[in-house]
Amino acid sequence: MLRYIVKRLLLLIPIILGVSAIIFILKTFTPGDPARQILGNDATQEQVDAKREELGLNDPVIVQYVRYIGGVVRGDFGESYRTGEPVLSEIVPRLATSAKITLGAVAIGAVLGILLGILSALKKYTWVDSLVLVISMFFQSVPEFVVALVLIMIFSVKLHLLPATGIETVKGYILPMVCVGLSSVASYTRITRSSMLEVLSEDYIRTARAKGQTEGNITYHHALRNAMIPVAQSIGTNLGNAIGGGMVLETVFGVPGVGKYIVDSITQRNYPSVLGGALIIAIVLTIINLVVDISFVLIDPRLKTTIISGGSKAPKKAKAAA
Amino acid sequence: MSENILEVKDLVIHYETDEEVVEAVNDITFTLKKGQVMGLVGETGAGKTTTALGIMGLLPSKVGHVIQGSIKLEGEDLLRKSPREMRDVRGKRISMIFQDPMTALNPVKTVGDQIAEVVLLHNRCSKAEALKRAQEMLAMVGIVPERYKDYPHQFSGGMKQRIVIAIALACEPDLLIADEPTTALDVTIQAQILDMMRKLQKDHGTSMILITHDLGVVAEMCETVAVMYAGQLVEFGSLEEVFDNPKHPYTRALYQSIPSLDKDVERLHVIPGMVSDPSNLPPYCSFFERCDEKCDRCRDFEPWAVEVDPGHVVRCLQYTPEWNGGEK
Repeated sequence: MLRYIVKRLLLLIPIILGVSAIIFILKTFTPGDPARQILGNDATQEQVDAKREELGLNDPVIVQYVRYIGGVVRGDFGESYRTGEPVLSEIVPRLATSAKITLGAVAIGAVLGILLGILSALKKYTWVDSLVLVISMFFQSVPEFVVALVLIMIFSVKLHLLPATGIETVKGYILPMVCVGLSSVASYTRITRSSMLEVLSEDYIRTARAKGQTEGNITYHHALRNAMIPVAQSIGTNLGNAIGGGMVLETVFGVPGVGKYIVDSITQRNYPSVLGGALIIAIVLTIINLVVDISFVLIDPRLKTTIISGGSKAPKKAKAAA
Repeated sequence: MSENILEVKDLVIHYETDEEVVEAVNDITFTLKKGQVMGLVGETGAGKTTTALGIMGLLPSKVGHVIQGSIKLEGEDLLRKSPREMRDVRGKRISMIFQDPMTALNPVKTVGDQIAEVVLLHNRCSKAEALKRAQEMLAMVGIVPERYKDYPHQFSGGMKQRIVIAIALACEPDLLIADEPTTALDVTIQAQILDMMRKLQKDHGTSMILITHDLGVVAEMCETVAVMYAGQLVEFGSLEEVFDNPKHPYTRALYQSIPSLDKDVERLHVIPGMVSDPSNLPPYCSFFERCDEKCDRCRDFEPWAVEVDPGHVVRCLQYTPEWNGGEK
């Protein structure tokens, strides 16, 4: 098990090198001078040159890159050009905010999606099934920000129940969570539905019926856990994507999250913040995926043997063994 | 109480979809005495498994329908029972062993839990008692009881089938239906499993329907034999009657297709043609096209069951008064 975790964490090295290299290359091709951006239009050319020297912007890109990576290894992601604060300490609270919303959203999306998926699998090819499909497709097709605006119209403008922007109170979290959550309901519903239908036609379901088990227990005890394997997989991926991907919604709802931070930093040419933000998201994603993969062992005991022995092609081997 | 554990009468089962109606089981009648083992033989698609699922009440919902007939277990008609009553019958009074042990066990539950489940369903006992019973069952089928905490993927195919058998026998059912229990296993394991099943069947006096297409297995294990062809029972009788004195042309052809050690034959006998399409059965004998004993009259009627000797029933026109002596 430990060997497997270490192996997966070592993957972080190429990820960090790769992500930072891409952003460094983009930075070289981007017009505009960060030093000028920081000092403003009134600064003299001498001041700008001195600032460039101070920031190390005159060194060759490769030197800047190596210096940056050296810092990252020691946990130093540089300082924000705008505030002079360490990037890490600026990002961590924003990441926490984004994470809260993401977790809430994934919970809402997954619970709704799984329930609807089970419902349409059990009522396959009936009007219930079709209705569920239409509703979930609707929320997947309509862009998140449109749903966001409609929700704001209803709950903030008309009903005055929830704040339109900001997260000063707990209520502020509700609309962003619901909004992001609804957009993922469709995919959970479809995965759950197809996975349930597949599992319900398995031989071991027939074995359970042959034991005299009730349909309710068959669905809950025998089918659901097996059907959840692909669903859990997609929850893991969604969780990662949603943390970094909430830029538009964080802007609409005025949430000070990590997505909005990166977007703002890009417009300000605040490269250390962009780089730091991207790298930290990449690291968090890797760790989330690792946790998700390990948690599969809880659902599917077949993986235990392979993960403990340190195999990386766990699912394939498990299938062959079965 | 009658001495028959199971009486199946005039059973007809259809699979109905939007496109077609598949006549899987057509009017079969047989009885099984207590403690007896009946072999149900026939080629793939003959309706053996459908018959078994019909008895279990496990036909695919919406598609599989019992059109007519009765299935009496110790005199009670199973087809008149409510789904709830049938759940009490399944696992407790009738158990089934399925063909493929690789897929018959739930991969995310320990084998102990899977055996204990059926015990808990049909007995008033605690989880701990049920698990204890599960360990006893494992020991009975020749698996170290301590392995009750293991998952199915940690067992080999033969051991999985032993576990499936343990589940089936955990509540000491009156009737056991084994649907090709050894088809998916390799030959040496087949013999082990069959030996074990025979021993358990003898020890517990369980009645059994053994579905197979291996006539050797039938000869070793069964007391009565039912031969199915295209959803019909073409021949039914005691092992001796059916093996030594086969009456139906299909049964005879089946024996000719078994390799024999003492006869020097270049090629085995092959029954020409294919099984009739069960969604498009002819209005006459469904074996007609492949039969080498047929006559013109065979096209005029659907044959009916005739008792040629006491307890030996054959569904072929040549044993009826209508038969005109095989003139061509």
